[in-house]
Amino acid sequence: MLGGGGKSSSSSTTAAAAGGTWVSTTSVSASGRRIQREMSELNADPPPHCSAAPKGDNLFHWVATVIGPPGTPYQGGIFFLDITFPSDYPFQPPKVVFKTRIYHCNVDAAGNLSLDILKDSWSPALTITKVLTAIRAIFTNPDPYTPLISGVARLYLADKAKHDEIAAEWTLRFAK
Amino acid sequence: MESDSISNVSSPSASNCKDISRKKRRSAKLKQCKLDARREQWLSQSAVKNKVCCKEGTKDSDSKQTPPGERDRSSENFEMRRTAEANGEGENVSVQHECDFESSPLNSHTSSSLLGGMDSGTSFTNSSSSSSSSSGGCCSGNISEEEGDDGCLDDWEAVADALAADDDKQETDPNESNKENPCLGSIPGHEPNPQLGSNGEGSDLRGSKPECPRMVQKAIGSTRAWRADDNFRPHTLPNLSKQLSFPATDWRFGQGGVSWMRSSAISVPSSCPICYEDLDLTDSSFLPCSCGFRLCLFCHKRILEEDARCPGCRKPYERDPVEAEASVQGGSLTFRMLTRSCSMIARS
Repeated sequence: MLGGGGKSSSSSTTAAAAGGTWVSTTSVSASGRRIQREMSELNADPPPHCSAAPKGDNLFHWVATVIGPPGTPYQGGIFFLDITFPSDYPFQPPKVVFKTRIYHCNVDAAGNLSLDILKDSWSPALTITKVLTAIRAIFTNPDPYTPLISGVARLYLADKAKHDEIAAEWTLRFAK
Repeated sequence: MESDSISNVSSPSASNCKDISRKKRRSAKLKQCKLDARREQWLSQSAVKNKVCCKEGTKDSDSKQTPPGERDRSSENFEMRRTAEANGEGENVSVQHECDFESSPLNSHTSSSLLGGMDSGTSFTNSSSSSSSSSGGCCSGNISEEEGDDGCLDDWEAVADALAADDDKQETDPNESNKENPCLGSIPGHEPNPQLGSNGEGSDLRGSKPECPRMVQKAIGSTRAWRADDNFRPHTLPNLSKQLSFPATDWRFGQGGVSWMRSSAISVPSSCPICYEDLDLTDSSFLPCSCGFRLCLFCHKRILEEDARCPGCRKPYERDPVEAEASVQGGSLTFRMLTRSCSMIARS
């Protein structure tokens, strides 16, 4: 029927127009919006012993702090981290760097972190809250099998008491 | 209270309508001109509304003498819809509309036969006047004053007035009472129906009824504001007329993109876990991975371009088959869900 054809075509053009505006509004700063939402979520429900916030005006550059969990040699230490979000976040993982020196087999002298979810295992569904939780987890349970500093990992496996002693000493020195 | 007023109002308006219908036959051409004029008037008012009325215009030109029949059908129709909604059979409404789409070619011919029936059978006009029961008196007066033409359009207004007035009563508790009050409102609409059934043309009429509202619904659906709309249907109808409710029009239909986003936010509360944008209907019917992790189509496409793994389970997406199927599904689902969701909202 004539009217039917006209209707469907007009509706499709409307849909296209609406879709067009919608696309343009989302693509302006999808990652910025996502980071903002993560920030508000983090503020509403921060993981224990962690905090994170943008450094200044730049949403893509955050500073986070992780307090060494009790029962570990890092206990009581305050560890600062720099978090840099790539422009295509969350499709690419954020870059997390320790600014505070730490004696840990998964953190090298420059503060780089070997954490699977920040590399190959990154998923866009992960949030900075989960990353902080994961970082806190490696304080408690270092992963000596994929170490950045193999010497520390070896010591950890061979003589955990010695490792913990050194780690506690570093914590006292750098993180308090 | 309403049913009382109907009997009072219906008799004068019925006679009015009779007269009008005769006049209409005489001056079908004049009517066309006026329709065009009115259409232009609407054009300036709102893009969406003009879509509706343009279609009406094409309809009218298809079947020259449709308007009187159409008025009845339209008014009937609203009652039908309202009764359906009142019964909680929102789905039926959409079904009706769909099957009506197929039967629509019949409409021009049935409506012309209706015209003949119009003159003889006052039961028809009864139904129209009853639909505009509460404020119908002034409306039908309106019609006769305005040279008795514009049948279709003025009828829109009459129905709109009726519905709006009906709605105003409910406004004290719009959300809850909306469900129940249409019941009350539909009772007067129901009464004339048995008479129609006994009438020969009455059954024809019933068959061809939902024509006008179908067009409205489609047009509104195309703006995607429809979903939020079904609940507030009486509000939108006055927008078609020259009522004061233009601010509301602008709010709902005026800025296409914005209103659409707003309405989608209402009906689909969950958002994409990746970009935190609200999932629209296509997105929420899109299930790219067997693990059940949902995301919006934009993010899905983005991920396919990069590592093509599901964010939820980190298994690689099955590229072509799933995506193609999903997009086809999404396309076909969209319209159906539009109509369905509106009825769901009407219920909730």
